[in-house]
Amino acid sequence: MSDLRSRRTFVRGAGAVAGGALLAGGLPSLRLRADAAETIKVGFISPRSGPLAGFGEGDPYVLELVRKTLGKGLTVGGKTYAVEILDRDTQSDPARASTLAKDLINGSGIDVMLTTSTPETVNPVSDACEAAGVPCVGTIVPWEAWYFGRGAKPGQPSPYKWTYCFSFGVKQFFDQFVPEWHGIETNKKVAVLYPNDADGNAIRAHLIPDLQKAGYTVIDPGGYEDGTSDFSAQIARFKAEKCEIFNTFPLPPDFATFWRQATQQGYTKMVKIAQIAKTGLFPSGVESLGSLGDRLLSGFYWHKEFPYKSTLTGVTPHELADGYEHATGKQWQQQLGASMSLFDVGFAALKSSADPKKKADVAKALSTLKTQSMVGKVDFTSGPVPNVSPTILVSTQWIKAKPGSKFAYDNVIVNNVTDPKVPVNAKIVPYNS
Amino acid sequence: MWFDQILQGVLLGGYYALLACGLSFMFGVMRIVNLAHGSIAVLSAFVVLSIAEAFHISPFLALVVALPIMAAAGWLLQVTILERSLRSGSLTPLLSTFGLAVVLDNAMFQKFGANTHSLDIGDLAFASWNVTPDIAIGQLALLTFVVAVALLGGLQLFLSRTPLGRAIRATSEDPDTAELVGIDSRRAYAAAAAIAIATVAIAGTFLAMRATFDPYTGPTQLIFAFEAVVIGGTGSLWGTLIGGIALGVAQNIGSQISPQGFLIAGHAVFFVVLAARFFIAGRDPRTLIRALRRAPA
Repeated sequence: MSDLRSRRTFVRGAGAVAGGALLAGGLPSLRLRADAAETIKVGFISPRSGPLAGFGEGDPYVLELVRKTLGKGLTVGGKTYAVEILDRDTQSDPARASTLAKDLINGSGIDVMLTTSTPETVNPVSDACEAAGVPCVGTIVPWEAWYFGRGAKPGQPSPYKWTYCFSFGVKQFFDQFVPEWHGIETNKKVAVLYPNDADGNAIRAHLIPDLQKAGYTVIDPGGYEDGTSDFSAQIARFKAEKCEIFNTFPLPPDFATFWRQATQQGYTKMVKIAQIAKTGLFPSGVESLGSLGDRLLSGFYWHKEFPYKSTLTGVTPHELADGYEHATGKQWQQQLGASMSLFDVGFAALKSSADPKKKADVAKALSTLKTQSMVGKVDFTSGPVPNVSPTILVSTQWIKAKPGSKFAYDNVIVNNVTDPKVPVNAKIVPYNS
Repeated sequence: MWFDQILQGVLLGGYYALLACGLSFMFGVMRIVNLAHGSIAVLSAFVVLSIAEAFHISPFLALVVALPIMAAAGWLLQVTILERSLRSGSLTPLLSTFGLAVVLDNAMFQKFGANTHSLDIGDLAFASWNVTPDIAIGQLALLTFVVAVALLGGLQLFLSRTPLGRAIRATSEDPDTAELVGIDSRRAYAAAAAIAIATVAIAGTFLAMRATFDPYTGPTQLIFAFEAVVIGGTGSLWGTLIGGIALGVAQNIGSQISPQGFLIAGHAVFFVVLAARFFIAGRDPRTLIRALRRAPA
């Protein structure tokens, strides 16, 4: 089956190459005439249905804004190109993400690929682009999972020529957690509930040693399997150790199960800091916890209080958030800004390239790209590893919305240590007080 | 410590048994492995949620309203899909319910979006009674357990004591012979499907109160329900309760040994029971299938 498919892809790819060569070599006059309306094709792959659908919920709105801006085309080096954005939904399936990427590359002949949200999306799409020699920018994937997870080795030159990633990583979590936790007096005992999956193990390996060095006692009962429906053993352990700080990186449904059970069994009464990640990213997940969602702490990669506007569309964070709420009736969420920043960065690379229709030129532009975007500065020349530009995470807290609000919870920024330009608009409150 | 783990495991088992009830009933009576079970449970949760939000009533009251709706849906399911697919062999219902699951998941996504939901039952979601300072029994967990026992017991009584129950059992044994003694086997099956889907609605409601759900939660819930049914002996309702408890206790003991042991211990019990039945059945696949299909006790 896979043999057949790969052969078919190869044949199709070879056909496209041969056809392209014919066109370029055999029909020069036709190509010249077509110049006036040359089109830049941009692929955009994100999860919009399936378990990761929360991430892609705002994408149609972002795409609408981007398409409106690009309606009159994109001018690069004095020449105006029409722009076509081909957006695809992975249905939260990594295999489908890979297939879609290959289809866009071989079938639609895209010039650049943009992709976002979780390793399950960004990694397979990046791999397909790397293999085919198509420039690709990804975001919202912990950069360690993207860079090392695809086979790069620490200390060795980057194996990637075509693919780039700007995103927070494990290091940004640490940078954010410790100053934030200093805001509340605790016994410095951290209960960690990390699953036995790609994210959980990366966090366990990198974050726990750093926390211990920073003077915290870490109680780690070990990785649980995703889909565990009873956490009595872990809860008993955390209770016995009297951990006042709690940190977790679970799948959202597992957290709901854990947190309710932990409340039933009396653990959450002793928690002062409840720091959740990977869950509690979006308002609906926190709302579904009912009153237990109040005062949970989360790291946000974008917030409507960020001071940066979109360089491509010129939209400000408030305009984006309010526009989305107005258009959909749903509460704003952080992926809006992240998806928008992906277009900011992708089009900044196209604009700064010598020829946006030449893939090598676009990749070269990416390798030296320094630009502003909706999530802040992106700079591929000075990352911790090549091809990567880390972005910020700010500490935020979910608090009950003021009476009269349309929504159940508000999200406020309580610490900005990773980027002082982001305004802090509330003081951290202990989970129990 | 161990006592607490076992106690919580038993309560968890009640939840599994409740999840598995409809699956067990459908397999026992109609010989259908309903792969859309999890998705139908999530659908019921959405129905209950919609009713509760539209009329501002408690989810329990909304469940009472939803029960006849889901029972009707079960009837419809039998008449339109299951009956037709049963006619073309025992494999077809497996395929058609699998397809139904995919259709339901994506239809729910279209209708309700990707957001996570939960049924709002206020403090009941996390309230508990302290037995000792170290051991707490969740009120919802206990309620789930009681409902599971009542539901499974009620169904058992219904099957053995009522005329409709007897008709369903007779049809299950041999539809043609049942027709000879004046039972309308189509009606009996349709009634059984309606009852089964109504129990799935109860399971879905408790699922939605215990944790959160979204349109794609269904398939992950199916596996525990399926294991509970197989451990308890497919088709036996009390067996399903015992199977659920065995699964829950095994998982909690496994997780006490190592957090990774939670799922593994459950799967191990499932496998051991399956292998033991296979061994007892004399290593003949045909008798194995017969052993799995023990009729309702």
